[in-house]
Amino acid sequence: MVALSLQNLSIGAPGAPPLLTGMGFTLAPGERAGLIGQSGSGKSLTAAALCGLLRPPLAITGGSLDLDGGAMTGATPDAWRRARGTTVFQIFQSPSTALTPARRIGVQLEEAARRAGGADIPAALDAVSLGRPILQHFPYQLSGGMKQRVLIAMALILRPKILIADEPTTGLDVLTERDTLAAIDRMVEATGAALLFISHDLRALRSIASRALVLEGGRLVEDCRADALHRSTAPAARALARAAAALHAPC
Amino acid sequence: MPDALRPPLTRLGIAPGRLGLGLGLAILLLFSGIWAISGRLDLPAPEAMDLLARLAPPSATHPLGTDHLGRDLAARILAAIPVSLGAALAAMAAILVIALPFGAVAALAGGRVDMVMMRLADCVMAFPTLVLALAVIGFLGASLEASIIGVVVAWWPSNARLVRALVMSAQERDFVRAARLSGASRARVVLRHILPQILPPLAVLVSLETASILLALSALSFLGIGAQPPTPEWGAMLNEARPFFAEAPHMLLAPGLAVLIAVIAFNLIGEALRDLLDKREPYRW
Amino acid sequence: MLRFLLIRLIATLPTLLGMSFLAFAIVAIAPGDPVMMELRAMGVVPKPEDIAAIKAEYGVDRPFLARYVAWLGRAVQFDLGRSVATGRAVTSELALYLPATLALSVSALIGAVSISLGLGLIAVMAGPAVSAATRALTVLLVSIPSFWLALLLIHAFVLELGWVRLIGDGSLPDLILPALTLSLGAGATLGRFVYERVRAERCEDYVRLAIAKGLGPMRILLAHIAPRIIGPLATAWANTLGALLGGAVIVESVFGWPGLGQLILQAIGQRDFPVIQGYLVFMGLIFFATSLAADIVVVLSDPQLRRRLSDA
Repeated sequence: MVALSLQNLSIGAPGAPPLLTGMGFTLAPGERAGLIGQSGSGKSLTAAALCGLLRPPLAITGGSLDLDGGAMTGATPDAWRRARGTTVFQIFQSPSTALTPARRIGVQLEEAARRAGGADIPAALDAVSLGRPILQHFPYQLSGGMKQRVLIAMALILRPKILIADEPTTGLDVLTERDTLAAIDRMVEATGAALLFISHDLRALRSIASRALVLEGGRLVEDCRADALHRSTAPAARALARAAAALHAPC
Repeated sequence: MPDALRPPLTRLGIAPGRLGLGLGLAILLLFSGIWAISGRLDLPAPEAMDLLARLAPPSATHPLGTDHLGRDLAARILAAIPVSLGAALAAMAAILVIALPFGAVAALAGGRVDMVMMRLADCVMAFPTLVLALAVIGFLGASLEASIIGVVVAWWPSNARLVRALVMSAQERDFVRAARLSGASRARVVLRHILPQILPPLAVLVSLETASILLALSALSFLGIGAQPPTPEWGAMLNEARPFFAEAPHMLLAPGLAVLIAVIAFNLIGEALRDLLDKREPYRW
Repeated sequence: MLRFLLIRLIATLPTLLGMSFLAFAIVAIAPGDPVMMELRAMGVVPKPEDIAAIKAEYGVDRPFLARYVAWLGRAVQFDLGRSVATGRAVTSELALYLPATLALSVSALIGAVSISLGLGLIAVMAGPAVSAATRALTVLLVSIPSFWLALLLIHAFVLELGWVRLIGDGSLPDLILPALTLSLGAGATLGRFVYERVRAERCEDYVRLAIAKGLGPMRILLAHIAPRIIGPLATAWANTLGALLGGAVIVESVFGWPGLGQLILQAIGQRDFPVIQGYLVFMGLIFFATSLAADIVVVLSDPQLRRRLSDA
């Protein structure tokens, strides 16, 4: 049983050198993996491709992508629409702009509940430690951390088979980051979703996933346990491990 | 996207934006080219009347036919190029001469100066543009010059507002702030850092505005309160054609098409430039 | 809410004053002396004492600002002077023709909004080929001169097909062709705006989230994008009404629709300044009221602005 499977996936604009090449890995249901790499290594591109959110002229140019057993390469817009939300869902990098500004949080969560065929919105709010009154609020009335938890609550409501979290803690302070990571942890625990946690921060990655995939220059260069990165044969992986260790060393 | 779904032009490697730009520029070049060689064409003088050939349909001697005074329509259409297009370009230039400094000063000065200047613009903008132009013409007396002045008076404030918005957003850019903080003179910041940024969006604006001004000016001439007969002007020619509407429909066709094609050219250029400048790509749903 | 409206109204007073000043000044600085013109219109060779008498009657012998204040004082009581040509009060003259122009402009606005939503949404929702064709059609309609379109429509529907009569009595069926002429161009201009706004919103992050939730295009458009663009759309609608009020002159002249257009063209020909001034004031006020309504929609459609208003 495989939740997410990528084989030899390439992404690029037709007629231009590919931005991502030969990407291959699988995630079992409930498995958690971290995708790590420097800025520009292709992390967000991967995330966009997994939700069918690549913008033209970018497109999948080769290889295959399976979500929950269904082949998604060359899928029609309708097929993608059916898969999004309940099969694969994504929590994006910038919570401040992710929610529709003109609608109340409650309306936006109800929409997700309808998509999932009914769900317990209050329970989802409890799980991410948000109070009921938030349903009446507009996005501008919430802090960045609260918005990110609204998105996680949305994921709890949708109960996707695969959750992609694209740098969900960027721009949040340390305490808020901890809360957010804890909320993602509870969400994945509660729904049994496979998690692909994308980050440039090995520390955040280790706190939530035990498996690390390392991207460098559009190629997957390492796939190992997160605590074994410093023994990797890939220089990029070792560099990341060293950098994380240096940050942790007492000043 | 599967190849079959892509518009045929993109498959050939031509972006629709570039096609529109090319087409628009080609039309304008064609107009100026025809005008440049019109002296060498074997056409009667635009004001030469031939009362025996009144309202003649298109023929070998008169390729577009003649009007109610027997004047050659082709010659008049060509002679109207510098009048109709020239009036629109002159009006646009005058609008820019007012709007550029006005908008830029408001944006650069900010604060109370900005507020007062914008309030002033608001007062003018509170009138519907064509209504204000009509009123100005009414007070000046009908003439091509008056219609140009009327259009300039009515059209400058919205353009000044847009210039102000462009300069304001350019000012907010980090490298402009950095230039200012590093002690570059105000004039230098404006000329070297702000102006180059607002030029591309300004080109879009100028092109689209010229299209609407051309429409307005020819409409005013059509109403008989712009260019006065016997000046050859496309709108005025249509006005002259109105009484002979049923018996000589050919008099309607050519001047209308001339306005239409010229306006399309400016609109195509404006929209194409905007498409080319807009690098953002919408999410596919 | 009432307080908000009141505050808004008060905030517009300076603009209203500025408008009135403009409408007044434009006459005062116009070349050509209306007094001499009136005398000439009466066929009188003026004697100096006549000139002085008429100048006193019109109050032109007083300083500029005093004249403005006096004019404004009369204007707020709906007294905009008398037509030089007919001698009737300008307000009653305008009021006579205003309904026809308003009927034409408002029905053209309704038509334009419908056309714009159709064109804009097809360009947004359809496949690339249909979308490109729709945008090409939009450019064509934006560029077509309304007076020429009017003549073409008359040629087709009146002369060739005989479906519509040209010399009407201002009844509803006579409105169809002029309103259609006006609404096609305005509708295309608005349609271009709808397309561009929706396209710009489709680049935003919140649309990405709505897509990631698995929502369909219609749902995203109505539930997520529409609330965001209703404010700018209302402003564009108000501006369109302004353009239609002006454009009505052209179409009225071609179709013989008995609106203000005929009156103003005559007034321009006869240099009937009070009528032109009154027309400017009337149209300005109508446009001003519409823009104010659009402003209120902008505030109400933005939760942040709405909040600030209920706090105030």
